[in-house]
Amino acid sequence: MSFLSLRGVTKFYDQTCVVSDFNLDVQKGEFVSLLGPSGCGKTTTLQMIAGFVEVTAGEIRLDGNDLTHAKPNTRGLGIVFQSYALFPHMTVQANVSFGLEMRRVPKRERDERVRAMLDMVHLTSFGDRFPRELSGGQRQRVALARALVIEPPVLLLDEPLSNLDAKLREEMQFELRKIQKTLGTTTIMVTHDQSEAMSISDRVVVMEAGKITQIDSPYALYEKPQTAFISTFVGKANLLKGRVVLNEAQYFVDLGPVKLPVSLEGVKTEDHVTLSLRPEKISLSQTDEGYLKGTVTQVFFLGDRWLYHLDTALGELIVAGTNIGKNDIKEGDVFGLNWPTQAMQRLQEHQVN
Amino acid sequence: MSTFKPSAPWLLSGPAQLVFFLMLLVPLGLTFILSFNVFDHATGIKNEYTLEHYIHVLSDEYYYGIFWRTLWISLVTTALCLLIGAPQAYILSRMKSPWKSIFLLIILAPLLVSVVVRAFGWSILLGPNGLVNVTTNYIGLGTFKILYTETAIIIALVHIMMPFMVIPIWTSLQKLDPAVQDAALSLSASPLTTLRRIIFPQILPGMLSGSLIVFGLSASSFAIPGLLGGRRLKMAATIVYDEYLHELNWPLGATIAIILLVANLIIMLSYNRAIEGRYRKALG
Repeated sequence: MSFLSLRGVTKFYDQTCVVSDFNLDVQKGEFVSLLGPSGCGKTTTLQMIAGFVEVTAGEIRLDGNDLTHAKPNTRGLGIVFQSYALFPHMTVQANVSFGLEMRRVPKRERDERVRAMLDMVHLTSFGDRFPRELSGGQRQRVALARALVIEPPVLLLDEPLSNLDAKLREEMQFELRKIQKTLGTTTIMVTHDQSEAMSISDRVVVMEAGKITQIDSPYALYEKPQTAFISTFVGKANLLKGRVVLNEAQYFVDLGPVKLPVSLEGVKTEDHVTLSLRPEKISLSQTDEGYLKGTVTQVFFLGDRWLYHLDTALGELIVAGTNIGKNDIKEGDVFGLNWPTQAMQRLQEHQVN
Repeated sequence: MSTFKPSAPWLLSGPAQLVFFLMLLVPLGLTFILSFNVFDHATGIKNEYTLEHYIHVLSDEYYYGIFWRTLWISLVTTALCLLIGAPQAYILSRMKSPWKSIFLLIILAPLLVSVVVRAFGWSILLGPNGLVNVTTNYIGLGTFKILYTETAIIIALVHIMMPFMVIPIWTSLQKLDPAVQDAALSLSASPLTTLRRIIFPQILPGMLSGSLIVFGLSASSFAIPGLLGGRRLKMAATIVYDEYLHELNWPLGATIAIILLVANLIIMLSYNRAIEGRYRKALG
């Protein structure tokens, strides 16, 4: 029995379907991210869990209790809003204390818990400040403290880091994950940033046009993307389109210029398939080796690695190379391209739309 | 930006300052001086100075009565405008798109009609044979004398001042982050507590400026008490008018005007300080 479960949750605005048949089971203590481009229904899903948006159909259960139509102020969930939504007329202390006050926690215990929480988010000496006297990162931490101090069964994060600059965002990611692990709070985060979702979640739910397209651990999501959308949205990918052919009891994919041996299950000859190939899985070698030849057309240096664009018989391919202290590949160089056959991941042909 | 001369701000705001100086400060200064001039019923204003008018006004119960009436009518008007205007602005801000603009327009529309016309409108409604008395008579409550009483003045003032209360409150409601309300709800606050603890303190500055405008305008209002208060029910502005145009005692009129101005300033400044001081740090 899962801790938080969403069964067939659907949302219609008039005739427009925003979220369709959303099914998700979240275990206690898990960190789950809802990932997708803007307008994919991820925030609406979060708002339905929070109770700010009415569910059209389906059921939301928390720890066995039906929450589907409960009022937001009876759900007791901790929420961090994208705008932080701090109470501007209250001090940091009063902001964090508000939820405890509403729960009629005695004054002494309240002060104790507020202080402990401010310690945790490193704002011990900021209790008397007002929100507008704080920086973006500090406000973010106040919002987190305010949501966590009530010890909610579930913490909901709505794009919590999107208003911070890149460096601070990365720091806060690790900070957020550390606090979440320490407290063991079940957490659902909405984000459109795939690296953010991958680096801190236990599982990632990819959404597209109101539907779930894949639920997996970050590693599985990256290595075995189900659709072309996921393979290009989560990291970079080369998409190879071809036709399955049988040659001496071995399946090959005929990509036109080349035939590649593949180990695919459940395919028939003449099936049209799309394969995803990650740039870092391709290795560059001597011209006479590998499946095909390619000419380097562009080189991008990213610090820890390089990205090369190569012109090949299959069109443009992206190849990534780790920075191992050499800088000898230039535009115009010709290489043989090689990769392990299992690095090619077959994608679903029929897109969910 | 570094090419700005220090004199630039002065030059740019010069025309406005000139208008202000000529149209406000000069007449005010002249009125102030006039209030010290000696007045003789036979010969008029003399070029001598005296405190006589101030002593006269401040020692005569007749004027106390008028000032007291001006004060309490303004206070009641302000309070009623707050009581009606604040919820009105709140409801307005939560309305959906087409209705929002329509109702805002309805609230602002009275500003397009002259105060005098509206005052006459009220006197038709409130008169002995007006719609209000016909209705109360019809349902068996009898007739009421409303016209030429304080009640009539207050009703009309509230009606005229309402936009000045609704607009500042509406403005501060517009500045509110809607997620703040959700945040309070998510922390188990009831909708009423959210309204009281979260929304109300944030629109307080709007309510404060609204009250100041309404109080100031009510205390110095002339047309409404003049037309709906009748000949006997005086307020400060109408007595100033009487002194100037009926008694021709300009210095006495000037004295009452100055006293009204000073009293108004004292009340508004102390009100401002008492309430805004508490929230200045939080809301800027």
